Formats: sequence, structure tokens, C-alpha cells
Amino acid sequence: MSSAPKPGGDPKPPGAPPTAAESRPGGPPPPAPPPEKSTFTILFDGKPIEVPKDVNLIEAAKLAGIEIPHFCYHPRLTVVGQCRMCLVEVEGIPKIQAACTTPLKDGLSIKTTTEKVVQSRAANMEFLLINHPLDCPICDQAGECKLQDNSFGYGDQKSDFDERKRQYPGFDRTLIGPHVIADMTRCIQCTRCIRFCQEIAGTGELTFLDRGGRTLVWTHDGKPLANDWSACAADVCPVGALTTREFRFRRRVWDLQKTPSVCPGCNIGCNISIESKDSIVYRFLPRLNPEVNDYWLCDYGRFSSEKLNQREIDKATVREGDAPRTEIVPSAIVRIGAEIRRTIEGAGPSALFFLGSAHLSNEENFLLRKIADHLACGNRDAVVDRSRVRRMKSKTEWIEGDHFGANFAGAKDMGMSPSSGGYGLEDVLAGRATPEVIVVGDAAFAAIADDPERVAILRRARFLAVAGRTVNALTATADVVLPASSLAEREGTFTNVQGRVQRFERAFLPKPPVRAAWELFLLLADALGYGDRDWKPEDLRRMIQAEVEGYSEVTEAELEGGGLMRKGLFVSTGAI
Amino acid sequence: MAAEKVLLARVGKEDSRSLRGYVDDGGYKALRTVLTGGWTPEKLTDEVKRSGLRGRGGAGFPTGMKWGFVPKDTKGKPVYLLCNADESEPGTFKDRLIIEEDPHQLIEGIILSAYALRCRTAYIYIRGEFYLGARVLDDALEEARGEGFLGENILNSGYSLDLWVHRGAGAYICGEETGLIESLEGKRGQPRIKPPFPAVSGVFAAPTIVNNVETLACVVPIVNRGAEWFAKIGRNEKNTGPKLYCISGHVNRPGVYEAPMGLQMKDLIFGDDFARGMRDNRRVKAVIPGGASAAMLTADEIEDCPLDFDGLAAKKSMLGSAAIIVMNEDTCIVNAAQNLTKFFAHESCGQCTPCREGTPWLNKVVSRIEEGAGRAEDIELLERISNQMGNGMTICVFADAAIAPVLSSIGKFREEYLHHVREKRCLVGPGAAALVTA
Repeated sequence: MSSAPKPGGDPKPPGAPPTAAESRPGGPPPPAPPPEKSTFTILFDGKPIEVPKDVNLIEAAKLAGIEIPHFCYHPRLTVVGQCRMCLVEVEGIPKIQAACTTPLKDGLSIKTTTEKVVQSRAANMEFLLINHPLDCPICDQAGECKLQDNSFGYGDQKSDFDERKRQYPGFDRTLIGPHVIADMTRCIQCTRCIRFCQEIAGTGELTFLDRGGRTLVWTHDGKPLANDWSACAADVCPVGALTTREFRFRRRVWDLQKTPSVCPGCNIGCNISIESKDSIVYRFLPRLNPEVNDYWLCDYGRFSSEKLNQREIDKATVREGDAPRTEIVPSAIVRIGAEIRRTIEGAGPSALFFLGSAHLSNEENFLLRKIADHLACGNRDAVVDRSRVRRMKSKTEWIEGDHFGANFAGAKDMGMSPSSGGYGLEDVLAGRATPEVIVVGDAAFAAIADDPERVAILRRARFLAVAGRTVNALTATADVVLPASSLAEREGTFTNVQGRVQRFERAFLPKPPVRAAWELFLLLADALGYGDRDWKPEDLRRMIQAEVEGYSEVTEAELEGGGLMRKGLFVSTGAI
Repeated sequence: MAAEKVLLARVGKEDSRSLRGYVDDGGYKALRTVLTGGWTPEKLTDEVKRSGLRGRGGAGFPTGMKWGFVPKDTKGKPVYLLCNADESEPGTFKDRLIIEEDPHQLIEGIILSAYALRCRTAYIYIRGEFYLGARVLDDALEEARGEGFLGENILNSGYSLDLWVHRGAGAYICGEETGLIESLEGKRGQPRIKPPFPAVSGVFAAPTIVNNVETLACVVPIVNRGAEWFAKIGRNEKNTGPKLYCISGHVNRPGVYEAPMGLQMKDLIFGDDFARGMRDNRRVKAVIPGGASAAMLTADEIEDCPLDFDGLAAKKSMLGSAAIIVMNEDTCIVNAAQNLTKFFAHESCGQCTPCREGTPWLNKVVSRIEEGAGRAEDIELLERISNQMGNGMTICVFADAAIAPVLSSIGKFREEYLHHVREKRCLVGPGAAALVTA
């Protein structure tokens, strides 16, 4: 990028002979206006680097590969310059300066390794630690704690502090809202949580109380910290002063495996990191995506993580008479295939009905539709539960979602709607259509599966096959129940409310015989003489690309791209 | 010896607070001169510049120059003038005298200054403890509005100004100009990051000038008697005008005294017109010349010590708010340092790490020494903590103020600290010197 000619600049190398136009008689050519630079050149420890004009010096340093330690600075919150950790020397200014509050200008020369800088940072670390309890062994933040990291990187091993440490009786280990536990003994007064509630959530529950060494963060008048994103206050907390009730004491964070995924909570499709260990999901953390959820995650989505650990259907069952009997998955699917074939031979494909879902990935919905197409069946639909409006702030705007389940838009895009002449879910529920065989790709939707009357209507079908994870009225009455994997146990893509196709990866394998829905559907396709049992989600994506309007430009590289999705490289925001 | 009183001329008169009394004594003449005499704001600013008036709040910044920092084009934003009446530097009580005894002098000074700044709304930010002062000012403003000196179309000049009193809630840091601005906006009193400076973006994100009470009061005589007259008062051309000195401590007659800028410290302490010497004829041990945040001076250092900005800067201290605190030989310096560090630990706003954590630590270590539990290495520790707090480590200069009494008392009275550590008692009284050598 830096080697490209700058706009408005002279592409001619300096020192080149004058061109004909320049050497024309009649005087020297008019001086060319100096090119308007879109960047600043900043010198970090003598090394020049071009940076955009509007970035913070801490971000500019990152571009130069230099880490400037900090606590209170956060890329999306106002700069307050309070923690005094990001001290650097600025050429031409005798006093040491906080990097976060130093305005950028062209030619700025920053020194980050001088003795003065090193000493000032160490001094700050000493001040921060004199009253900190150093209770890392029982602190949940340990492992993703900025105080630990910066202490290790920039602090001294010892301190001469020999007084009683500050205590906050009544303000320690206290639940201050539905999710967040506050412990002021660990607080370093960086005000990130206050600013989050003020500037992002816009609710302003938190504030500084008292002043000087007695300063503490608490809620106004003891009212609860209860906004829709309250746990983000714990995310932005660089230390263990704010932690969440749900994750507290459950796992050391360095044990957790991080998997890039997409929140299944609603159709905003916030980017998350599934944090798991030994096939158990312990928490969701927001994963940086400026276009969608930025650094944030709502409490509803975040704490839906526990649902991924629910496993009530762990084997395939086939009903004979009244009693469900355990069956191996391939045999159960062969049974579904046989029922479908029988129906086609009898009543024809119009007696079949395929139901996709907002919980199924694009690949899974697509495959279900392809099966229907293969059977010349136009009766298909996708189901979604409506929720109250949920809001999420991207870097630039608020996004609203109103579905449970992340992929209703994708399901529709994949063709899970009745084709002309076919019928949909409403027709079935209203009694306008009476399919003989119903295949439900995902039983985890409350609007119907928990409603006995509606289940009874679906049950009018001669044969009802469902895939699911948890037991409900629908799975209880189905003829064949297939064990489907959770979000953490499969990969795929969701299409969010913005039309953004986002990939989620598999955190761990499902415990056999549980399989991903797309694997189950692939077995069914095979039983019906369609497809290839070796297809993988990327093969399905390639087919989607070729066949589905608007998806042709969604490449694998793009799904992995932006540095946001690659395993091991992505940023989960817990430690920012 | 006794110079003409300018700022305190009316103090002590029976009706010094009333508008009638003020007008009878020639009050609001300057306002008439400027508003109806064809003075432009530029002319007034220039007059203040030529007078050499420097800010009386502590930093001694040239007032006219400060006014000049307001951008010519404010992009449609109003300009605000804030009168800093949050007089909270320990030992300072000069502004209170003007506010309570001669409020109209201040009000006239504010109106004049506001005119120079093309300001339409001004505020007097007064510390919460000055309840009487706030009441006096409110009454005086009411009177001034009634007489047409304030409000719409002042003296039919076409110039209008609203002036309001805003009471603080009792925080030292709200005397720092950006802390004051935050507090005036209704927020927690925490100094702001500079730049932007208030003259560019201050209260309500508009250009703002913050001036001390005494500074604004000085504008009245500058208009009435001319910049040249003002500039001639004082020790030299850099330290001009009449000055109020607050003297407290172990002197016979503590109080507020007016003298030309550059009064000798010795004259202030011992002069018949001033504090009239040390109580019980004890000797001077130490003097804090400019409020709690100024470095202490020893008895030797107060010889030939002109009380002005440059005179005290030459002694590595500062005039500050001209609050001279005199300590006699019975004073334990460690105890004094304990008192001062306690004050600063109590008043730190708590936003910057070094100040929030450092001020209580200093107090704890000084207290330990004072209480007889100190160790020899504690003195180096105090110096180390102090050096880790000041010089740009924090957003505002509070930390620099907080370490000044510690560093200066250790620097100048180290033996007293050591004595405390060794003997677990104070080194005071006439025989103290003998104890040190014994």
C-alpha cells in the first residue's frame, strides 16, 4: 500500500529529466501543489510508519508493532487518560506524556523504550498494585487480566508499600445486577465500565463514588446494573473487579478453548467466541466484528451459552406402536427414506412436507431444500420464533433483531419457502393442507413444538420425523427422532439481518451417535438416491454459491477473511 | 509605609456591600467609561495587557494574554467567563473578603472582563462553604440587575450580560479551572485533559476564560486609573499592581493585607501595618509562602524575599494564592507535613493512578514517622513516591502540589525527620538545635 503512488502526487521519480511540458519555453512550470497526504508519518523509536490521521496513538503504535501498555484506553470508549500507564516520551515535550491523549500530527516522534518511560511505567504499576489484593489464585480474571499482564511486562518485582491495603467493606463480592458481581478491592478505577454504560449502553448505571484513594465504582443509588448488555461491563473491566455470576469460579480461563462462532440467540448474528473445555461450553465472549457487534454481546445471547450443554436426545429412536425403540442413526434414516418413497408411490410428492428452521445453517437448510427438489416436492417452509426486539451497537449504528435463532433470513434465501403450487407451514397448521409425511429439520422452536394443539395438527400426518436435541411435545410424538448436534458441535454459516453471511466453526465433536443436522440430512439424501455422502459443508457452500442468488460472491476466503475468523488469530474481547 | 488601598479601599465601611454605597464611592464608573465611552473590547483587552496584570489565583499567568487565547472565530459558539471563587487553597482567604465585603467591585470587574471577551453569560463559581458569600453575591446581583448594570442592554449600550452564582459542593480540585468547568456542568469535579484548553473548548464545549476573583476585581482600577498607573505599582514591570496577602499562623495579627506586589516577606510578618511580628516573640522556623501547595521556606530564606511571582520562583517556591503560613520554632515540621499530606490525600479527585494511590501513601508514611514508627529508609521512600507522582505523571498539577510540602520539608528539615525516626519524638522548641547536635 505504501509503495503505491499517492493520489495527486507526481508519479515521476525524483531527479528524472524534465519532460517536454516542463521544459517548454516561457519560464519555469508553476509549482505543483504539495500532495494532500491522507496519512501521518509517525516515528516510533526512530522508525517511521504511515498511519491514518484519525487513529489513537496507541492504535498507531500497534500498526508499528509496538505495544503501549494501558488500562483505561478502550478503542470504542472516550479517551480519559486516567490510568497513566501508556506513558511515552514525545520529542519536543519535556514532561512525560500519556500516549492515549497525545494528538497525532505529521512527524511526531515517540519514544517508548527510554529509561524515563520504563521507570514511569514501573512507578505506575507499583501504585496500581499497592492496594490491589493480589488474590489472583482465587480471581476469575487471572489469565486474561491486564493488571497481571502489564505487571509482568512493565512492573517491578517488589514494592516498599508496607501499610494495610485498602478495603471496601460492603462493596466487595456483591451482585450489582442480574449478572455482574462487583468486588471493589480489585478495582483500579479505570472507568471503562462507567463509560461503557454511559456511552454504549446509554443507560449510565455506574458511577464513581467518593474521591481520592477512597474512590469506588458502584451503581447510582444502589439501583441494579441491569441493561441488556450489562455483562459487557465485566468484559471491559481489565481486572477482576467485575465478573459475571454465570462464569464465576467455573474454569480457569487458560484452560478454555476458543472457537470462532456466531451467537445463535437472534438474527443479528453477533460474532462470538465459544469458550469450551472437554466438550462443555463455559461461556460466550464477544468476538470483534466492527460491522456487527463490534466489541459487545447482549446478556441474552451471552448467557444462552448454557443451552448448548443441554443434551436430552442422545440417540435415534423409532416408534413402533406406542413405544419408541432405540435405533442406530442410519437405520432410522433408512426408515424415513422408506416412508417417503412409499408416500411418493401412493399419494405423490405433494403429500410430503419439509420444514427447515432459523436454527439450521444455510448448508443444512439448503440440503433440505435440495432433497425436496429431488423429490419434486414444493411443500417446504422454515420456522422461526419471534422475540422482542434486541439491539446491538456496531461500530457505526444500532442493529435490531427480533427472532430467536440466527438464520431465518438464510433459511429463506436457501429456498425454504413453498414453491408455486406448494404449501407452507401456515397452510398445514390451518388445515388447508394435510401432508402424509413431515420431516422437521430442527425441533427446537417453541412456538409450535411446545404447543400441544399445533403438535396435534402436525401429528395428523401419517409419519413424522424430527431431528433435535431437547425433548418437547413434538419429539415426544414423532415417529423417528434423530439426535442433532448443538451449535458448538458443528460448522456452517448463518445469514444475519443485514444479509451478512457469517461462518461458525466447530468447537468440539458431538458424542456419537449425535450428528450435525447436515450429516443427518446427507444420510437421508443418500437414502433417497440424491447427493454424495462425502459432501462436507464447504461442498454445500460451493453449491449455494453456484445456485443461490446473492451468494455467488461469498467466498471461503471471505468467510475466513479479515483476520476475524481464523482460529488462533481472532480476538475475543475478554482481554482487550 | 502604608500604601494607598485599592482593592480593600471600601472594606470595613458600613455600607460596603450595598450598591448605593459602591456607587457613592465612584463604583460602576469604569463600566460607564467602557460601555458608553466608546471602548471596544479590544481596547479594554489591550489596557489589561499593558497593565501587566497577572492571574491572582495561583499560576500568575498574564490575564490579557489569556483573554487573547479565545479564538477570533468561535464558529457561532458563545464565549463564557467564569469567575473562580472556589478559594480553597489552605491559608487563603482574600477572595472571601472581596466577595463578602465589596461584592460590587467584583461584579463590575466581571462585567468589564465579560465585555472584553464578548461574553453574554458569566458564572461565579463559589465554593460551597462560602454560604454567606453566595448570599451576598446573589443580593448584589439582584441590585445590579435592578439598576441596569446587568441584564439586557446594560446602560443602553447595546451590550447584555447574564451573571449567575453557582455554588460548589466542597472540593479543592474544583478550584482547578477544568475541574471547575466539569463541576459547573453538573459533573463530578475532575480536571480535564488539555488540550483542548478552556479558551478553545471549556464549559459546554464553548470557549471559556476562568479568572480568579482578585484578578477580575483588578480590572476596575485598571480602567479607572489607567494601565500605566497599575503597571507602576509593584516591584518591577513583571510583577505589577496591588496585591492581597493572606497571612496566618504564629503571628500577632493574622489577616488579609493589601500592599503593592513585591512586598518583602519580612515586612509582612513584622511590619506594623501588617502582621506585627511573631506571637510571644518566638522565632520563625518555616514559612509556606503561597498556600499548601507551595514549597516551604526556612527562616534564612525569608530574608530578602519579595512576595511576588518571580521573587518566590527564584527561591524555588511560588506566590500561589499569596497565602503566607508562618510556623514558629515550636512547630514540628513532620507534624505539619502530616497535616498537609492528609489534606491532599483527602482532596485528590482519584482519577489518575499516581495521585489517587500516591497521596494516601505519602500520608501514611509521614504519619508513621510522626507517630514514632518510622524507619530511616522511609525518608528516601517519601522522596521516591513523590518523584513518581509529579512532573507530568498525572492529568493536572494536583500531584505536583501534593508533593511540594513533602519534598521541601524533607529537603530543608531532613534532620527533623531523622530525629523523629531515631528519638520517636518531635524536634521543637528553643533547645531543639542543641538536641540535634547532641
